[in-house]
Amino acid sequence: MDYYLSQLINGICQGSIYALMAIGYSVVVGVVGLVTFTHGEVIMLGAFASYFAFQIFGNNLFLGIVASFAASAFIGIFVYKVCYERFFDAPRHISLICTIGVSMLLKNLTQIFIGANNFPLLEIIPNRFFGWGTVGVTLVQIIVIVTVVSLSLLLFLFFNKTRWGVMLRAVSQDKKAAALMGINVKLTTLAGNCIGCGLGGIAGMLLAIYYQTLIATMGGSAGMKAFSASVLGGLTDVPSAALGGLCLGVIENLGITVSSASFRDIFAFIFLLLVLLFKPEGFARKKGVRP
Amino acid sequence: MSYADLILRKTPAWLKFALLGGLFLFLLAFPRIYPKSYAMGVMCRILMYTILAGSLNVINGYSGQFNIGHAGFYCVGAYCEAILATRFGITFWIALPLSGIAAACVGLLVSLPTLRLKGIYLAIVTLGSSEIIRLLFLNGNDFTGGPIGIKNIPSPYIGSFKISKSVHFYYIFLFLAAIFFFLTYRIIKSRVGRAWVSIREDELAAKSLGVETSRYKASNFMYGAFWAGIAGAAFAPYFKFISSDMFTLDEGFNILSMVIIGGQGTLIGPIVGSIIVNFLTEFLRPISQYRLVVYALLIIVMMWIRPQGLVGASNSILASGRIRFRGRKKSAGETK
Repeated sequence: MDYYLSQLINGICQGSIYALMAIGYSVVVGVVGLVTFTHGEVIMLGAFASYFAFQIFGNNLFLGIVASFAASAFIGIFVYKVCYERFFDAPRHISLICTIGVSMLLKNLTQIFIGANNFPLLEIIPNRFFGWGTVGVTLVQIIVIVTVVSLSLLLFLFFNKTRWGVMLRAVSQDKKAAALMGINVKLTTLAGNCIGCGLGGIAGMLLAIYYQTLIATMGGSAGMKAFSASVLGGLTDVPSAALGGLCLGVIENLGITVSSASFRDIFAFIFLLLVLLFKPEGFARKKGVRP
Repeated sequence: MSYADLILRKTPAWLKFALLGGLFLFLLAFPRIYPKSYAMGVMCRILMYTILAGSLNVINGYSGQFNIGHAGFYCVGAYCEAILATRFGITFWIALPLSGIAAACVGLLVSLPTLRLKGIYLAIVTLGSSEIIRLLFLNGNDFTGGPIGIKNIPSPYIGSFKISKSVHFYYIFLFLAAIFFFLTYRIIKSRVGRAWVSIREDELAAKSLGVETSRYKASNFMYGAFWAGIAGAAFAPYFKFISSDMFTLDEGFNILSMVIIGGQGTLIGPIVGSIIVNFLTEFLRPISQYRLVVYALLIIVMMWIRPQGLVGASNSILASGRIRFRGRKKSAGETK
């Protein structure tokens, strides 16, 4: 019983990281209106940016967050310029294939210029354990959950209380009407893409801290989990995407109690298939942009 | 209408058959003309990837489904042949069609839950299934060899003649590619092929005209997967060794880049793509770590300047909206 309980806690912690990835993904898809395959690579590059920040400035979590957000947002500009800007009017699969190309490009350039081996990321957060008996939470898990929850609240406030947030929501609902209201659609789309990518980058940093290692090929499974989680929200609805990420983490960690840990990625896939079979449109209330 | 199509339409039938026959005879005689084993190896690779890219093109190009995990079916075919040959001692000539059928069954399994889905959802499911198939083979310890893979896959025999050199496999791959292109050509011209194309052009219209879209989509997926399995099954005894890290997502993207560079929805496209990409691989051998970077740049450049591929038709649904909706209002592209 203790084992299952601690797996549940692990699941909630990991699920909150997935939730942050999924939030980033649905912000990108919602604002841009085109589906992306680069999110996994964006997550991976955010993790690497925080790794170098930790190497240079010491174990400062705040600086790591800033570095990963900035680096991923910068990659977001690159992705926007290459994959989206000229393809808003073209058939959708063209920009989709373009994002596949960019994801290949980023992954292989990272492997060449940074390295294809595992990078250890130890002792960023002191290894402490709170709990009773064998059940409990580590300091890392508390910090991860606190970071994700506070970032989500910040994003919620940003979307609902600021001018930019209102503009972003308007653009994600209807680009033409937003343009008629005097919103600079291109700039807003670019900003939304950068915010989504930056959140993905922070999620990458948390993932690297949680697993204490990072590798250039981590983007593939991370991107797929972000996608699987945000399918629950119809790819555009942010709160359901966060819920999907949480579910995904719990299902994964309860799943590996009945099988071996090497089958971890299979559960994400099963979750995706189940959602697609029974609720292919997700739980989104509004009829948003359909990819 | 691409230039290739126009030229093909203008040439008389006898000339076409003469050219095709001449090309086939040339390919048959190629090992006599240029009997280097290095060249044979490259030719084997080109022919194998031609089958793989052609079968992916049947799925992506003709029925407009978006499969990016083709390496999964290729993996199933290769492992099926290797397991049948090493564990059960079944001869290559029986294992070959069996592997194709196994891959087709996996293709059906992948396509069944996704029949209602379009575009990106199908793409993600194929991507995921490709990786899951690989993980299953990687973790199936005793039976599939686990991370070590399967070594010493026996060579096939014709009577008592052992097929072991790359020249011999060149003929096997040539034979398979010829069958593949003949069959695919006939199917595309038939009722089934027209149904596939109609699904690509407009699924709703096809349905309203009585095309059972889900059945045709599933059959299309199975046909593509079948030939990927055949290619894998021929690859296993040729390479004599397979392991799960030969069938990663990068391999799938490699096949996809051939289809995109050559041109989706054309028979010649995958051949052109396979030749270009494999020659590039050979040229880039000194700097082989940049190989996938170059492919990625090629994909992006193709999408920027010629989304229908090198030999693709400019009025195809795969061309960019600017060209396709010439003369109509520009926003028509958004309806897709």
